[in-house]
Amino acid sequence: MSADLIQLLVGGVLLGGIYGLAAFGLSITFGVLNVLNLAHGEFLMLGSLLSYGLFVGLGINPFISAVLVIPVFMLLGVFFYLLLLKPIMDKPPHQLLVASILVTMGASLFIEDVTSFFWERPVTGISYSLPPMEFSGVVISSTRLLILLFIFALACGMQLYLKKTFVGKSIRAIVQGREGAKMVGIPISRVSALAFSIGMALAASAGAFYVTLFTVTPVMGIPLTIKYLCVVVLGGLGSIVGSVFGGLILGIAETLTAYYWGAEWSPTIAFILLIIILIIKPEGLFGAKK
Amino acid sequence: MKMRTLSVCLVAAVLLAIPFAATGAPDAIHIGATVSQTGHFSSEIGPFKRLMNAWAGIVNEQGGIMVKEYGKKLPVKFTIYDDKSDQATVKKYYERLATVDKVNLMLGPYSSPLTFAASTAAENHQIPFIAVCANSPKIYTRGFKWIVGVIDLGQRYTYRYWEMIRKEGKAKSVSFVVEDTIHPLGVFKGSKALAEKAGLKVLTSDVVPDKTRDFTPIITKLKKENPDIIYVSSNIPFAINFMKQAKEMSLNPNEYHCIHHSGVFRDALGSAAEDVIGQSYWVEGMKLGDTQLINDVLKKADVSEPMYPWSPAYVAAFQILRKAIEDAGTLDNKKVMERLKQLEMETVLGEEVFSDTGYGSINTYPSQIQDGVYKVIYPPDVATGKHRYPRRPFK
Repeated sequence: MSADLIQLLVGGVLLGGIYGLAAFGLSITFGVLNVLNLAHGEFLMLGSLLSYGLFVGLGINPFISAVLVIPVFMLLGVFFYLLLLKPIMDKPPHQLLVASILVTMGASLFIEDVTSFFWERPVTGISYSLPPMEFSGVVISSTRLLILLFIFALACGMQLYLKKTFVGKSIRAIVQGREGAKMVGIPISRVSALAFSIGMALAASAGAFYVTLFTVTPVMGIPLTIKYLCVVVLGGLGSIVGSVFGGLILGIAETLTAYYWGAEWSPTIAFILLIIILIIKPEGLFGAKK
Repeated sequence: MKMRTLSVCLVAAVLLAIPFAATGAPDAIHIGATVSQTGHFSSEIGPFKRLMNAWAGIVNEQGGIMVKEYGKKLPVKFTIYDDKSDQATVKKYYERLATVDKVNLMLGPYSSPLTFAASTAAENHQIPFIAVCANSPKIYTRGFKWIVGVIDLGQRYTYRYWEMIRKEGKAKSVSFVVEDTIHPLGVFKGSKALAEKAGLKVLTSDVVPDKTRDFTPIITKLKKENPDIIYVSSNIPFAINFMKQAKEMSLNPNEYHCIHHSGVFRDALGSAAEDVIGQSYWVEGMKLGDTQLINDVLKKADVSEPMYPWSPAYVAAFQILRKAIEDAGTLDNKKVMERLKQLEMETVLGEEVFSDTGYGSINTYPSQIQDGVYKVIYPPDVATGKHRYPRRPFK
């Protein structure tokens, strides 16, 4: 295998890791609540801006910010759920989906415009990087590698939480069947609020890494949500492992496509993959059949 | 007797006419504009409403702009809307400025696409329109008669840089990385021709979608090509993302040229921004025009030049606007436009002359980030520093 190809694969894996983390939260929200949260990217953006503020204002390392933003956004997530989503949760599934799209789209536009108005600073980014590593001609970004490791640790932690704790089991039970979960006495509303807030906190945590690698603007949320939606569908709704693998597949596919066919084809590959997966395995790579 | 009656009538007529003449003068010179306070350009132009109002404040403190027709100075009043960085919205608001607000003159919105859309309202309603940050040839090839633009065409955006490279004769090859949007594409087309004219070998030109975040494939290619100059023709976010990853992957050419390398670029990249060349209209210490006005307006507006390097172009536009009205001595649209077209003046950014189709003569200078400070490096008569070539590699 040539050094170029290894370089591309490594680059793709590192990129895919970021996709995976950001898609986690979206996957949980959709799986548990049947809510298509179009404001997901906005929480990522807000997490980025908060992390930026902590770095510039207090000199806090973005890796620490990625942990610090979690409780803040969990709290915000609970408020968001109680204020905007709880009132529509009793609607029949198809109406709930449409209503959630409208509500979260409205919230997304609101957050975007308010942030644009008050966040006067031009495009934001932070000058944080670690020296790269080189192995026989292949350069690996230490920053991205560290982020990837953090993401895997978080994914494992989440997986354990979902498998071992009562709340985690409740979340999984709701993903498997809302009515069944209700019948066995799971407090749907409380668990839903918690699941939504976890989703939001994960998006914000991903935002802390995002601002380390890329520029951030108040208007970046909606395009990101669409991309992460592709990752979620690719990996399977409600599956954390699916989100990580969906992200990795997309990252590698984009990198190879850009190198061999041209960068203009790179954004298209996400949708091509999505169509292929939906035809072959409509529930996604790791999604459970319903 | 007849003579006496006639004299009385004349005196009465003059006395009656004076108050009419006074009330005939408008309350102010109304200037219309939009600013992208929201939407994707907000991060590049958001606080410029303050810039416009700051200049108006300075002019009004001096009594306003002299309009000979009314025999007095008139204050300047801006009507500014948020165009949301959107072509349809910008079009709507410029129509409103023409038909409802009935402004005397319009300042263009930010960017070529928005200016393209906005200027049709000025043309339809025959209102003088001064484009500020818009240099796409498309704007000036429609046969419009009511538009002038402050800056030169995009193709010539970096001509001084290539002139410098040719004279130095050190660099031999260049690779282009281009963001697929109207302004960077325009700059790239001109730059490629200028690079070839300067005797450089163009190794590759990668035109990349504007939302690209991952540059692994391009950087892998560039490492193999090993050009002397990597020329990134893009907007700021794209350039930051590219440079971040170039550092992460140890891509070390002799020179990076990122056409936009403002304070945001420098702050977001830290040491990775060192020695990067870009283009500036003006930097502190340059021997150009009345730089005091730039400082006064920016200070009053609380806008930082390194963060918004296109802000001096707005100050030049204000000067042009003022001179055209003063020279015309009237607010009559046709006469103001005629004066604008014929204008030849020294602005804060150098000499301004408009071409037949309307674009201006003000252009940028190559500037290099040296120890965190922007230094104009060419031509020598205005330079504030010397070209550092080759750049120091990433540590």
